[in-house]
Amino acid sequence: MLRNYIKIAWRNLLKNKAFTIINLSGLTIGMTAVLLIAAWVQYQMGFERFHTHEDSLFKVYNRSTGPGEIYTWDVTSGPLGAALEKDFPEVAQSSRIYWSKDRLFSTGNTHIKAKGNDVDNAFLSMFSFPLLQGDSAHALDAVNTVVITEELAIKLFGTADVINKMVKIDNEDTYQITGVLENLPANTDFDFDYLVSLKANENLYSNNNSWSTNTFYTYVQLKPNTAVDEFNHKIKEEIKKYNAESETEIFLHPIKKWHLYSRFENGKVAGGRIETVRLVGLIGILILVIACINFMNLSTAQSRKRAGEVGVRKVIGAGRSSLMLQFIAESVLLASIAGVLAVLITIVVLPAFNQLIGSSVFINWLSPWLWLGLGVFILITGLLAGSYPAFLLSGFSPIKAFKGNFKKRGCVFNSRKVLVVTQFSVGIVLTISTVVIYNQINFVQNRDTGYDINHLIEIPLEGDIDKNFELIKNELLKNGAIEAMSKTAFGVTSEASTGSGFSWNGKSEEDEDLSFSLYRTSGDFVQTMGLNLIAGRDINLAQFPRDSTSILINEQALKKTGITDPIGKTIKRKDLTLTIAGVFEDFIIGSPYEEVKPMIVMGYKNYNYNTLLRLNPNNTTQKNLGLIEQVFKKYNPAYPFVYEFVDKSYAKKFADEKQMASLSFLFAGLAIFISCLGLFGLAANMAENRAKEMGVRKVLGASAQHVARLLASDLLKLVVISLLIASPMAYYIMQDWLQDYTYRVAIEWWIFIGTAAVLLIITMLTVSFQAIKAAWVNPVKSLRTE
Amino acid sequence: MLLQLNHIYKWVKQGGKRVFLLNDISLDVKEGEFISIMGPSGSGKSTLLNVIGMLDEFQEGEYIFNEEPVHSLKEKQRAKLYKEYIGFVFQAYHLIDELTVYENIETPLLYKNSKSSERKALVADMLDRFNIVGKKDLFPAQLSGGQQQLVGIARALIAKPKLLLADEPTGNLNSKQGEEIMELFRELNQEGVTIIQATHSESNAAYGNRIIHLLDGSKQHQTSN
Ligand SMILES: Nc1ncnc2c1ncn2[C@@H]1O[C@H](COP(=O)(O)OP(=O)(O)OP(=O)(O)O)[C@@H](O)[C@H]1O
Ligand SMILES: [Mg+2]
Repeated sequence: MLRNYIKIAWRNLLKNKAFTIINLSGLTIGMTAVLLIAAWVQYQMGFERFHTHEDSLFKVYNRSTGPGEIYTWDVTSGPLGAALEKDFPEVAQSSRIYWSKDRLFSTGNTHIKAKGNDVDNAFLSMFSFPLLQGDSAHALDAVNTVVITEELAIKLFGTADVINKMVKIDNEDTYQITGVLENLPANTDFDFDYLVSLKANENLYSNNNSWSTNTFYTYVQLKPNTAVDEFNHKIKEEIKKYNAESETEIFLHPIKKWHLYSRFENGKVAGGRIETVRLVGLIGILILVIACINFMNLSTAQSRKRAGEVGVRKVIGAGRSSLMLQFIAESVLLASIAGVLAVLITIVVLPAFNQLIGSSVFINWLSPWLWLGLGVFILITGLLAGSYPAFLLSGFSPIKAFKGNFKKRGCVFNSRKVLVVTQFSVGIVLTISTVVIYNQINFVQNRDTGYDINHLIEIPLEGDIDKNFELIKNELLKNGAIEAMSKTAFGVTSEASTGSGFSWNGKSEEDEDLSFSLYRTSGDFVQTMGLNLIAGRDINLAQFPRDSTSILINEQALKKTGITDPIGKTIKRKDLTLTIAGVFEDFIIGSPYEEVKPMIVMGYKNYNYNTLLRLNPNNTTQKNLGLIEQVFKKYNPAYPFVYEFVDKSYAKKFADEKQMASLSFLFAGLAIFISCLGLFGLAANMAENRAKEMGVRKVLGASAQHVARLLASDLLKLVVISLLIASPMAYYIMQDWLQDYTYRVAIEWWIFIGTAAVLLIITMLTVSFQAIKAAWVNPVKSLRTE
Repeated sequence: MLLQLNHIYKWVKQGGKRVFLLNDISLDVKEGEFISIMGPSGSGKSTLLNVIGMLDEFQEGEYIFNEEPVHSLKEKQRAKLYKEYIGFVFQAYHLIDELTVYENIETPLLYKNSKSSERKALVADMLDRFNIVGKKDLFPAQLSGGQQQLVGIARALIAKPKLLLADEPTGNLNSKQGEEIMELFRELNQEGVTIIQATHSESNAAYGNRIIHLLDGSKQHQTSN
C-alpha cells in the first residue's frame, strides 16, 4: 500500500513539475534557514559547556546601591578570591584574572604581539583548557612562567614542541614556557593566546591588595553539591568584613550563564544574548511555519486536480483514513527530499553564513542526535504541511468531485487566503523590523561623538614610548605628521572605568554615590581629541607640573554636581584634592547607546597605556603613517609598529547590533521570498483554474489587460490585508526592542509606506507574470482543454 | 432479496422550496437480476444509482441491502458493506490517470488488504478475461474509450461484487464498442452478478430483464422482458 502511495506521489510530483519545483524550493529554503538557525542557537547555548566543572564554576560579581538604582559589575578587588577561599570551606579554589593584555613575545628575530591574561595558578585546573604539553596543576606555580597556545607556539617557533623553551616578553623579562595549550574552542568567551602567572606581575598592579579598588575578575570553583543560593546569601557581606566602609555586596554568577545572561538590572540577571537567541529561535519557527503554509497552500491549490482521483478512490473502496495517509505520505516524501537538499545546502552555505553574521557556528555532522533530530524534524514538517490538504482532500464526496462542483470550494479558498495573509504578515513584520534595526544602528552611528573621530589613531604605549614621549612628539610635530599627541589611560572607545566617593562644595545628599567615568591623561587631551572646551584650559603636565592634581570635567559632570563658575573649584576624594582646570563638551566614551555619564579626566603621569595621535589632515594618511612609523621605530625599536584608527574601533561597537541586523535581514528576505514563491504558485493555479472563465470573457470581448487585472487584483488584496495586519504588530515589537537603548531612533511612518510600496511592486511582478500569461492565451485553446 | 427500496424521497431546498430529485421510489431487486433504468435527461437516473450505491444520501424512506438497514447504518459500516458487495462503472470511466492499467485494476484489492500473491492472480485473471494483457503497463490516456471502459469494468469486478452499478456505461462509446460492453454485461449476469444500469438507449436497455422508467424523480412504470 505504502509503495503504491509513494509511486503515485512520485508520479504526481513529476507530472506537475512547476508546482513541485516551487513547492520544493520553498520547503528547502525554509528548512535550510531552520537548520542554520538551529545550529546557531545550539552554538550560542553551548558556550562554556565544555568545562568539566561547568556546574561548579562561578564569576564573582559586585552589587552596590547607587542613586535610584543598583549597579552590578564584575571587576572585583584583588584580595577577594583568596579571602573567600580562606573564609568558606565551600570554595574549592579561586583564580584572579587581569584584563586582557597585548604583549610582545620575542624569540631570536621573531617578534609577535599576542593577547592573553595574567591568572593565578588554579586557573588551569578550574577551567578545561587542556595542555598538550605540561602539567595543568603546576604550570603557573612559579614566577615568570607562561603557557601559550599551540597556534602561538607555531608562530613563534615553527613547532608546537616548545615545552621549557624560553621566550622574552615585552622586551624585558625572560619567561619559561611551562605548557602548551590546545587552541581554544569557538564556544568560549575566554580569548587568550597565552597565560602568565599573575605572581610575576603582582608588583605592577598598585592596587593589588586594596579592598577598595576593583582591578581583577575573580573566579571561584565551589565544592560539588554546594547550594548556590544559600551560599550567595552567606558571602553577601564578605567585602564589608575587610573594608567596613564599603556597601558593596558580592554574589556568584554561574559559568553556564555567562554567555547568554550578562545584563543585570537592579542587581538581578535581566538577560543578555539570550534575548537575541530567543528572538532568532522564534524567527526560525516562523520561517518554518511560512514554509509549511506555502506547502499547504500549494497542495490545496491543486485540490481541484486531485478531487477526481479522490472521488474514484472512494468509489472503489478507499476509506478516509487511507486517503489521508496517502496525502501525508506524499508530503512526507516531499519533505524528505527537501530535507536532503537542505542538508546539502547548509553544508555549502555555512561558511558564508558565519561570515555574514560574524560567528563561528559549526555543525557536528557525525552526531547521531543530529540525524535523529533531522528525521523527526522532516517527519513533523511533512505531517504539519500535509495534514491540512490531507484532511481537506479526503473529505471530498465522490459525487461532488465528479461533477467538479465543490460546495466547499469557497471555504477552501478562504482558508487559503488566511494562510497567504499569515505568511505575508510574518514576512512583513520581519522586514519592518530589519529596517528599524538598521535605522537604529545608523542613528547611533551618526550620533555626534563629541570629538573629531577622523584622522585619529591610537598606538599602545609600550616599551620605550613613555620614556621618549616628548622626543617622539616633537619630532612628529616637526615633520608635520601630526597636529597633536597625548598620553591617555586607555583607548578612547573602550569602556571607561567608573568611580564614586567624590565630594565637592554644595554636594547634596542624593549625589552621595554619584558615579563618574574616570580617565587619565598626561596632557593635550582636549586638543588631540578635538573636544570643544567650554571653559578653562587643557591639562599639560609637561608645561604645568602642578597639573598632576588638575582635572578636566565634562558638561554632564558640571550639570550633575551643580558646581557654578567651575574653573579653580575643587573636587575631593579622600585625601586627594583635585582642581578643575577646564570643562569640555560631552563626548561618547563606552557605549554609544547610553547617555553620557559625568566624567573626570585627571592629569596623571603614570598608568597611561595609550598614545593618541591626531594626524595632519593636509597630508595623505599614508604619508602620515609612514612618517610616524619611522619615528616610532627609532625610539621604540623592539616593538612592531601597530596602530588602530579610532573611527574603526568605534565602528566595532555596533558588531552585536549589526549581527542582529544581518540575521533579520537574511531571514526577512527568505520569508518574503518563500511567500512570493507561494504567491507565484497560487497565481499560476488561479490562472489555470480560471482559464475557462478567462477564455469566455475574452470571447465576449474583454481585453487581455482587463483579464490580467482581474486576476492580479485578487492577490494584491491579500498583500494589502497582510500589510494592514502586520504593520501595527511590527510597530509594537520594535517599540519594545528599542526600549533597551537609552539613545534610540523614532519609528518613522515612511518605513511602513516604503515596505508597503516595495512589497506591492514585488507582488505585482510575481503575479502579473501569471496574469499576463493567462490573459494572452488563445481562448479557443483554454476552452477546449476544459 | 438483494436489496429493497421503500418509499425513498430525496430533495434539495431551492429558494425555501423542496425540489424532489427522487419522489417516493420503491424497488425490489433480487439476486441475479439485470435491470435497466431509463428516462429523459434530468429524470434522476444517476441520483437513484448513487443512492443504491450508497454514494448519496436520501431524506426519507428505507433502504435494505442484503438484509442490512442502510438508512440507519453508520458511515463506517456502510462503507464496509459497499466495499464488500458493490462495484461501480461510470460513463466517464474515472480511471486514475497516474496509475497504469494494471495498478488501476489492482487498487480496490489494496483497499481490501488482500495479499500480494492473491492480488497478482486476480488481476492477471481479469486482464486475461478482458483481453487487455498487452495493455497492462499503459496509462489511461494511452487507451481508446472502449478500452478505458473495459478497464473500468475490470476494476469494478476485481473485488467480486454481488451488485454492479453502471451509469451510462456506453454513453461515450460508439455503437460497436457499446454492444461489446453490453454482451459482456450479459455474460456477467449469467455468471450471477446482479446488474443495474442507467441508459438512454432502448437497445441497451433491452439487455436487461426488467426496465424501470423514471420521470422527474418518480417511477412511471416498469416493463419486463
Ligand atoms: N446537488 C444537487 N442540487 C440540486 N439539484 C440536483 C443536484 N444533483 C442533481 N440535481 C438535479 O436532480 C435532477 C436529476 O439529476 P440526475 O443527474 O440524476 O439526472 P439523470 O437522469 O442522470 O440525467 P442525465 O441523463 O442527463 O444523466 C436534475 O434535475 C438535476 O438538476
Ligand atoms: Mg445521469
